Amino acid sequence: MNGAFAISQSDKRPMYLQIMEQIKQRIAIGDWRAGQSIPSIRQLAVDLQVSVITVKRAYLELEREGIIMTQQGKGSHVASNPRLGARLREQELEQHLEQATLIAALMGLRPRELEHRLREASDRTAAKETI
Amino acid sequence: MRGSVTGHLILKDWQIHRVPILLTMAAGAIALAIFQWGGETAFVVGSVWFFVALIVIASMLPIFSIVNERKKQNLPFLMSLPVSTMQYTTAKLVSTVGMFLAPWLALVIAALVLIEIRGMLPHGAIPITLILLMLPLVGFCFIAGAALVGESEGWSTAATLVCNSSYGLVWYFITQIPALTDTWKSPVAVWSPTALAIFGGELASIPLILGLTFYLQSRKREFV
Amino acid sequence: MTGNYPNRLAIELSGVGKKYRFFSLDNIHLKVPEGQIMGLIGPNGAGKSTTIRILMGLVHQDSGEALVLGHPMPAEQVAAKWDIGFASEDMRLYESMTLGWHMNFIQSIYPNWDTAYAQLLLKRFGLRAEQKVKGLSHGQRVKATLLLVLARRPKLLVLDEPTTGLDPVARHEILRELTDVMADEGRSILFSSHNTQDVEQISDQITFIDRGRIIDSMDKEMYLDRWRRLRLEVPYGIKLPALPGIIDVRQDGRLAVATANAFVPDLANAYESSGARVNAVENMTLEEIFVANVEHSREEVEA
Repeated sequence: MNGAFAISQSDKRPMYLQIMEQIKQRIAIGDWRAGQSIPSIRQLAVDLQVSVITVKRAYLELEREGIIMTQQGKGSHVASNPRLGARLREQELEQHLEQATLIAALMGLRPRELEHRLREASDRTAAKETI
Repeated sequence: MRGSVTGHLILKDWQIHRVPILLTMAAGAIALAIFQWGGETAFVVGSVWFFVALIVIASMLPIFSIVNERKKQNLPFLMSLPVSTMQYTTAKLVSTVGMFLAPWLALVIAALVLIEIRGMLPHGAIPITLILLMLPLVGFCFIAGAALVGESEGWSTAATLVCNSSYGLVWYFITQIPALTDTWKSPVAVWSPTALAIFGGELASIPLILGLTFYLQSRKREFV
Repeated sequence: MTGNYPNRLAIELSGVGKKYRFFSLDNIHLKVPEGQIMGLIGPNGAGKSTTIRILMGLVHQDSGEALVLGHPMPAEQVAAKWDIGFASEDMRLYESMTLGWHMNFIQSIYPNWDTAYAQLLLKRFGLRAEQKVKGLSHGQRVKATLLLVLARRPKLLVLDEPTTGLDPVARHEILRELTDVMADEGRSILFSSHNTQDVEQISDQITFIDRGRIIDSMDKEMYLDRWRRLRLEVPYGIKLPALPGIIDVRQDGRLAVATANAFVPDLANAYESSGARVNAVENMTLEEIFVANVEHSREEVEA
């Protein structure tokens, strides 16, 4: 079940962040649904072959962000917030847009040119989807 | 078979060295048979030398086993088991002296056979024979103790040299003691006070040597 | 003697010291809570093996107390060793005997040998019981030794360099078994390693030892979080301020790299206020931390 998690040590980001991100991804695409029970900290640690303390930290942060909930004696589950998936998507879009503007600035593109590029990209994606 | 861990350690040694042990036991049995039923005096005398060789080999093997356990780095493996250093020492001494006892007992029996059954020597020879035969056993305990405490081939070699070179001297001195040699031709075994004292001394020296070994082992603060 | 109280310590060393002719272990304090994995790292000759020998009761310390699974060492080493699985890099099995003989030997002594698990490990490690130890490669021997320790499912595993000299596949096989041990929150592991990747991956606690002294000992995540590398751009005429928590600054022309061992976001702000530009704030791998830490601690001692 947790085989598709890919935690890499050569990734510059700390392991707990990678775990958090992959959990968020699963929730965003609907693999892990709202209210669904998720592996205990210890179980996930064993499956991923990482230390318990790393998974603990990931779960703590996720709980802080309201994405999962842990109940004493009952384990952990995805928060039952129905807009969770949408909220994560919002976050992702914001991040990507900000990155695009940063890169554009480095390239010296003006906002109007960036808009143009965005429209082109949108058209390309739409074309792919109709194939 | 749960048993004591010390017992397992002793068995382990005999399992590891089972081939040499069986060979020496077989050789000892054959030599005994020759003593019992062999013919010519010369043949029997030849067998005596065979026995001596047997003793020499038999004393090399156990020392080998003690020294090698350290050299081949088996000791951390053993000490990771639930044993104390004293239990280890006990197991080692029992197993190695045990390995030596087999051929040595064969030698003692052979000597008694010569005296009692073959009648090649009078009974008066018994005290001095036993006294002389005890020497390799005492010497072996000394070498084993040195190998355990000394932790290296150097120490066991030194102890072996000391023993081997002193045998000749000691044998000579013993055969010079009138109290022992006077009566050795008699048809009856005569245990003079001197003979008893010397024999008793030899017997007592074994627990002394072993006790000293245990004491020195217990004082080690870096066992492995 | 069961029961998993959250604050029980599998290992507790207090003020342990040991003097040798050319080396001494000084004032070692170490705590491994039950259910956790502690990674012990340090350069060669730092004292990792000596520390491990002391807590196994194989070496008698000159000062301080060593409590392992509640037993004072070396006094109660026999009682403790029933529940400890020990494997060290300088340990060898009997060359002339087979792996199967060793398995029977261990099984005859310990009551909780798990035969099924032992067979599974044979398969996973690619070993055959009929093989004589002398015919095994280095990697196979290491795995064989670990098999003998793992199949007993001991409460505490004490491993001195368990993955040293192993190829990546063998390392992965062993790490898998070690992390499986974690599933039981009553079991603990202490292992020493040069391989900072392994330590970084599976340790809950990290202890750094150098030249006989403990430099750092703490929660791994907290520890990794305290270290950062800041990449700075320093315009001409600007001198970088000395800031608390920064242990090293290397400057080459206008570019500088500052190493922080007590990072707070304010540090970046402080640099910015001084006129320098912070281009990046990077996490450091345990290996980078290892080198920086050892260099720093040696400078401090020599100062």
